[in-house]
Amino acid sequence: MKVVVPRELAAGETRVAATPRTVKRMDRAGLVVHIESGAGTASGITDLEFREAGATIVADRADLLSGSEIVLCVRPPDSETIDQIPSAAVLIAVLDPMIEHAVVDQLAARNISAFSLDMVPRIARAQSMDVLSSMSTLTGYQAVLLAAMALPGVMPYLTTAAGTLHPCKVLVLGAGVAGLQAIATARRLGALVWGYDIRPVVKEQVESLGAEFLELIDTSAASEDAGGYAKEQSQDQAARQQQAMTEHLAQMDAVITTALIPGRPAPILLTTEMVEAMKPGSVIVDLAAERGGNCELTKPGENFTSDSGVTILGPLHLHCSVPAHASLMYANNVANFLLHMCRDGQIDVESEDEVVCGTLVTRGGEVVHERVLAAREATES
Amino acid sequence: MQGLAELVPMSTEWLYLAAAVLFIVGIRDLSSAETARRGNLLAACGMILAIVGTMQHGLIVQWGWIVVGMVAGGVIGLVMAVFMPMTAMPERIAIVNGLGGAASGLVGICEVIRHVTPEGTYASGFSSFHVGVAGLEIMLGAMTFTGSMVAFGKLRGLISTRPMTYPFQNVVNIGWLLVMLYLIVGLVVGSLDPVFFFVLAGMALLFGVMFVLPIGGADMPVVIAMLNAYSGLAAAATGFVLSNKVLIIAGALDGSSGLLLSLLMCRAMNRSLTNVLFGAVGGSGGSAQFSGGELQGDPQSISTVEAAERLFDARRVIIVPGYGMAAAGAQFAIREIADVLKERGISVKYAIHPVAGRMPGHMNVLLADANVPYDDLVEMEEINPEFAETDVALVMGANDICNPAARTAVGSPIYGMPILDVDKAAQVIVIKRSMSPGFAGIPNELFVAPNCAMLFGDGKQVAEQLIETLSL
Repeated sequence: MKVVVPRELAAGETRVAATPRTVKRMDRAGLVVHIESGAGTASGITDLEFREAGATIVADRADLLSGSEIVLCVRPPDSETIDQIPSAAVLIAVLDPMIEHAVVDQLAARNISAFSLDMVPRIARAQSMDVLSSMSTLTGYQAVLLAAMALPGVMPYLTTAAGTLHPCKVLVLGAGVAGLQAIATARRLGALVWGYDIRPVVKEQVESLGAEFLELIDTSAASEDAGGYAKEQSQDQAARQQQAMTEHLAQMDAVITTALIPGRPAPILLTTEMVEAMKPGSVIVDLAAERGGNCELTKPGENFTSDSGVTILGPLHLHCSVPAHASLMYANNVANFLLHMCRDGQIDVESEDEVVCGTLVTRGGEVVHERVLAAREATES
Repeated sequence: MQGLAELVPMSTEWLYLAAAVLFIVGIRDLSSAETARRGNLLAACGMILAIVGTMQHGLIVQWGWIVVGMVAGGVIGLVMAVFMPMTAMPERIAIVNGLGGAASGLVGICEVIRHVTPEGTYASGFSSFHVGVAGLEIMLGAMTFTGSMVAFGKLRGLISTRPMTYPFQNVVNIGWLLVMLYLIVGLVVGSLDPVFFFVLAGMALLFGVMFVLPIGGADMPVVIAMLNAYSGLAAAATGFVLSNKVLIIAGALDGSSGLLLSLLMCRAMNRSLTNVLFGAVGGSGGSAQFSGGELQGDPQSISTVEAAERLFDARRVIIVPGYGMAAAGAQFAIREIADVLKERGISVKYAIHPVAGRMPGHMNVLLADANVPYDDLVEMEEINPEFAETDVALVMGANDICNPAARTAVGSPIYGMPILDVDKAAQVIVIKRSMSPGFAGIPNELFVAPNCAMLFGDGKQVAEQLIETLSL
């Protein structure tokens, strides 16, 4: 089967969906890989390296896509490119299908079987294909470096002849993959680290990395109902928690927010009043900026200093600033997923496999993913 | 001036006091591996003083039987001490407990027979208090005896180590216990004929068996500690019957230390004592509560000392860290273990599974923190072929990433996930808090594999104990 990897066209995108190593793996599985010239340049991979790994380099995009059966991308292709993809081809990319309805519709209309790797079920055996997890690893790490660079001081505790430097206090809100990686990185830079999450079960995970878990009032079992879902908190309780959080924030030098809800705008964790309570010179890195931000003041894609002197960073696609590793991880995720579906050089888009089904967004001219359909209904009504 | 004749009974009391002090100091010394030998010696000296004191008592009618008993007991003790391997220590303790219980029970029966008049009443001097205590003594002694024998059988593998269960088991057992207590009350208030002492003894003998059978092989150490407590209580009751102070003291010490020990062991396994003793109810759950799927066979549990011996006998060791290591903060202790082993010329590597822990790179971050050389960390694909040539794979709080079900169990949430081939190592030692399943929620066949031994406890504590043992 002909596998093609186009060059990414989206502004600021530095990743590529294949590396020489994954080309070799696909080659061994009986797939024929064609790569658009210059696809790996931003990640430091030359056409020559791809060619040595067994790929054919194609200069013209139309030539590349003609006759292609599997298309590997990072971001969703632009509509012109989608029109060039042959009908019934397979597309593997990160489509953000719960929000990007237009792209999904076009893919369905073109009768393309589109797999969106951000929909991979979060189960142990699919972890090697989990793009969100691998990219969050990088953004969590990068967020701490951004914070460190923006801080007016250094992070570690240093007792020197020229005076004692007190360690920087870092609070990480949201202890998912990015949050945990941020905690680990900040710890290794010498900061004092606190972690917070509305799920009390992650307390142990936060502590396993040497950070303290921030206990706001009553985060215990009471916040979960019998089914394990977060209970609607009473207003009084919420107000007291906000109060407690504000008091903690006033102590912090850097705050990294990582809270995301799949297919929804990011929840607001830091209100304007909370930011005003923070020390001048302190730094907020909002990793949810792409989804509107966890901080009310965040301007996605911009860095600025608030009136009260707090530096607020709203980086977009932070993983693109480490393209070599981002491409390595992304390409491995893609190859793991593709080869998981691949049997004897053929792929079966009708598979009943949980990982395949859970990732398939469009097939046979229709949108087939249940959660994507549900998200559409919710926006329409 | 007092005469020698008046001093003799006094000296018994003094010797008992000295013995009691030695017992207490000895037990305190047992709490640390460094002083345990001295503690044992002190307690043994205490025992000699107690025996000497008893012999001075002047109530001894006949020396012949005493000498026979001492010689027979001494020879058996010596033989056991010399020839029994350290690994059979739990079995030995089971036997000793059982015999202690039997002795208490027999003394109780003798005392009852001695004090019952032909008319079925008790001789003066054998008050209702004595009757009650004798009843407790016989009950505890008898059940300790049979319970210990069953525990011994399970440990030796003579009896199936799987928990044996039937419906309403706990109800039957508790009912049985209540009937025995009722008998004792009846004997005390005099509504029951002294012949019921024998009924009580028979019921208690059966109860010991019924009580231990439903408990799984892996939980035997807790049961042994419990039985130890019972035999101590039986001895204390004997002390009351015979008005012997040193027996009361020693029995109370034995009873309380046994109970504390079993509680500590339960805590180390992250289970409650009730769960261990009554957990096997209904037969659906097995020895530990698994959700989804049952394990065939019982896990084999080992002590830190045995684990240390196996590590020392190895030439190649692979450490497999998992989230349990992270949660326990055991990375420093693990590195120290590796250091000790390396000093002995044993090759040590770490097998890092790509999804070990709760975030990508979790193990790397923590082990780097503990200064583990990067060269020692080996990726899954690279290290998997090496397991077959590995003597000991030390699994530290890892579960799903080494679950062989990923290869075979179609439909399981981890089916098809690449795993570390830990089960191919000659010997696997798993340090884990309990038998509970990992993140994916499925039981791990590895834990009941014949080449796998479980070292239950908090990762950090167990690792630190291992270091202590290894550094001796």
